[in-house]
Amino acid sequence: MALLEVDNLSIGYNTKKGYLKAVEKVSFDLEAGASLGFVGESGCGKTTIGMALMGLLPPNGSVKEGRILFEGKNTLEMTDEELRKIRWREMAMIFQAAMNALNPVQRVGNQIAEAILVHDPSVEKDQAMDQVENLFRLVGIPLDRLRDYPHQYSGGMKQRAVIAMALACRPKLIIADEPTTALDVIVQDQILGEIKELQKEFDLSIIFISHDISIVAHMCDHIGVMYAGQLVECGPREGVFESPAHPYTKALLSSFPTVTGKRSDLIPIPGETPNLVVPPHGCRFCDRCSGPEASCSTEPPQWVEIAPGHRALCCRC
Amino acid sequence: MSKQNENSMGPERHPWVSSFLEGWSIFRQNLLGKIGLTLLVMFALMALCSYIPPWISPIYDPMTGVDPDITSCSGPCLRHWLGTDFMGRDILSQLLAGARIAFMVGISAAVMSIVLGVSIGMTAGYMGRFIDTLLMRLADMIMVMPTLLVVLLLSAVFGQLNIWTIVLIIALFRWPGVSRIIRGQTLSLKQRPFIEAAKVAGASHFRIIFIHIMPNVLPLAFLFMTFRVTSAIITEAALAFLGFGDPGTVSWGMMLQWVWKTGHMFQAPYWLLPPGICISLITLSFYMLGRAMDEVLDPRLRKEDQTD
Amino acid sequence: MNTQDESVLKIRDVTKVYKGKGALFGASGKDVTALDRVSFDIFKGEIFGLVGESGSGKTTVGRLIVGLEDVSSGKIFLNGREVVGLKGRARKEFRSQVQMIFQDPYQSLNPQRAIYDTVSEPLKIHGVGNASTKRDLVREILQSVGLSPPDDFLFKYPHRLSGGQRQRVAIARAMVLKPTFVIADEPTSMLDASISAQIFNILLDMRNRLDVTQMFITHSLAAARYLCDRVAVIYRGNLMEIGSAEEVIRNPKHPYTQALLDAVPKFGHHRDVSRYGTLLIKDRDVAGENGCVFFPRCAVALEDRCAGSRPLLGRVSGEHRVACFLVEGA
Repeated sequence: MALLEVDNLSIGYNTKKGYLKAVEKVSFDLEAGASLGFVGESGCGKTTIGMALMGLLPPNGSVKEGRILFEGKNTLEMTDEELRKIRWREMAMIFQAAMNALNPVQRVGNQIAEAILVHDPSVEKDQAMDQVENLFRLVGIPLDRLRDYPHQYSGGMKQRAVIAMALACRPKLIIADEPTTALDVIVQDQILGEIKELQKEFDLSIIFISHDISIVAHMCDHIGVMYAGQLVECGPREGVFESPAHPYTKALLSSFPTVTGKRSDLIPIPGETPNLVVPPHGCRFCDRCSGPEASCSTEPPQWVEIAPGHRALCCRC
Repeated sequence: MSKQNENSMGPERHPWVSSFLEGWSIFRQNLLGKIGLTLLVMFALMALCSYIPPWISPIYDPMTGVDPDITSCSGPCLRHWLGTDFMGRDILSQLLAGARIAFMVGISAAVMSIVLGVSIGMTAGYMGRFIDTLLMRLADMIMVMPTLLVVLLLSAVFGQLNIWTIVLIIALFRWPGVSRIIRGQTLSLKQRPFIEAAKVAGASHFRIIFIHIMPNVLPLAFLFMTFRVTSAIITEAALAFLGFGDPGTVSWGMMLQWVWKTGHMFQAPYWLLPPGICISLITLSFYMLGRAMDEVLDPRLRKEDQTD
Repeated sequence: MNTQDESVLKIRDVTKVYKGKGALFGASGKDVTALDRVSFDIFKGEIFGLVGESGSGKTTVGRLIVGLEDVSSGKIFLNGREVVGLKGRARKEFRSQVQMIFQDPYQSLNPQRAIYDTVSEPLKIHGVGNASTKRDLVREILQSVGLSPPDDFLFKYPHRLSGGQRQRVAIARAMVLKPTFVIADEPTSMLDASISAQIFNILLDMRNRLDVTQMFITHSLAAARYLCDRVAVIYRGNLMEIGSAEEVIRNPKHPYTQALLDAVPKFGHHRDVSRYGTLLIKDRDVAGENGCVFFPRCAVALEDRCAGSRPLLGRVSGEHRVACFLVEGA
């Protein structure tokens, strides 16, 4: 049984302009110890999925249909109390803005110790402090910074502290939502390296959410490409990046400059993402696609199996 | 997430129009605001109606109209719905005239202090350095002066002040609060890239202040106007009650002073209560209106409905 | 590739020091050197990339050139004329020649003004054209940044546009006077990859068609490689390496450039390219400030030499110059 199974998940937001279909019919599995990366542009619904998995959708958002099975139990049917128990202890999240995830008036070490104490009442205070020291060693923050306040930390250190907090209760699954967006490339590289090592060490499952293909490719074995609220292609990393099937994946790859290989012209994707209050009837990428067929704009595309485990939501594949 | 461009929206509205419509829809959900606005409309009607009684008969003139049949303070009757004062003047027509004066004093003092406050605040915030320090210290000095006391002193020196002098003095004492807020807003706008872009394009200081900064601070200035109206009305009422008002006008404060001076404080509630209640209600209604506008303008105070 | 002879912009020993804010009581704050004797040239018709991390001073360079901040010392020349301290008409003339595109398109357009007002503002300020020619010029430039048909956009307000469209408007505003030199300060860091590629191609098009020389400020080596003819790598206010984009990125000489390239996530066939490994795991503690700025983090540094004095840019080959004691020829 997979650690996490998401089945036909649809999520929407009530907004002033109407009901916004942020995520539509997304299904995927995640095995224990595996890593899955969601890549897509802003507004494609990748962050919404992460929030829904954690049960942290904003008040105007709601799950319309589908199931989220975590170790076989549907988290959408859980009471708040049950959900709170698995949140942080079983699955934890590393948020986009690390700076805001730390309380500015509390020492960093104490904050993490507190997180441990709240979620596991059997732990003594001293033990919690010991655990925090271990965590700091793991994520590479010098121990003499334990008693500092968040504002004394650099951006990278804050992000490390947030990772330590996510690891505090030894979760099985970590959801990392753009954990390095605000950081410089060298610090980003170090932190990504650390996350990778931690994953191996604790056999963590990771869901990695990013707009940056290269980071997702660097971090994850399985890739899900999202566009306008739909999963449009998913499969193993090599399959998705070396023989992409969906036109959006292809276009995304060719609009991304690299430092290696030959310098080739970037081919931008023309146009803008569709309005998700009234999404197009047929394929959502149809308007921006390089070679749509007549049926693309009228009929919703179907999943096509490209190779074992590699599928795409496109009628031209 | 609301970045789609719907091309089929008809003619483009100025952001002020669209934000006004949006603000109005938020305002409509605000109970305080609705009560305030209803009360204000009532007072505005009163002010308009103040022209009717003197037109019906000269005996209803709030200042000079004396009912020949009445020689002392008398209670409500058919001819005088709210009764008359000690010399037989109609209280209702005084009350109506008072509404007109209250609006006049409140709004003109508020407009003057806002104009002063906005221009001083923008200048201080934009120019910075020496000019900023100078203007803001001046603002501090005025802010700590007790307005009422200064006006009392002035009227002791110059004798009775007329109503426009009072308005002017109130305005001169009420700009510093506004200018501090506007200065803060200007300071933060000054750092915004669109101001820098205008500088790089070669825009003059004048252009930057009036074309780029002012439209962005005006909504805040309008909000402050409602609070300034309240304070101007109260100040005028207090002055009049203490006997330093303009003897040639009938304001609610003036009415209260007459009640008190002629010793009818506890004998004629029909004379004492109407102006008292009116002063409280009009200040309350401007205040509620301001609170509601505050909520419209400040997204942090708004409830729910956030996307992304 | 470049027309080497003519330099549009010359920067000589530009230094910027931010004075420490003196507290009311007690010691005043420390001065911070944001730029330390930076010199480089930008040639006519090229796109010059300035690459650095946050806090490297790359944005400061741009702000000094357009005069949003004042240099502490050093000289800046545009077409051979000194631009620091220009006054009056000469300053206005300079303003019409040098424009800037800002990082955040959500902040760089006045929300109260329609697109036409924003784009035509430089024309108004510099008194170019009458009402109808102005309208034509604005239409033309909107068209060329890909906002077409332009009439659909003229009277829209920024809040109705997407991030990519706003950035196009900002480019149109910068280009409408046909300036000689434009600085683009991380114009795509707030945008999605597919939209960034559109913006890159517009900037390239502006260079090719309108012959606008540009300086592109970025944190991304990949973007610099795609867009620029030459790049300079800047670290903590010091130029570390400068040369043709392809040369600097494919054959970097400075340990810092190498560390930057190591850190770029790679994928596809290039996952296993060997690393330079020039970054120390743990920073050195360094007492003085005399040495190379990268010395505290440099894995290949010579303890005595690199700590003691700061290397200057030295020629490796052709246009390629590096500030490092370890590089031959430098």
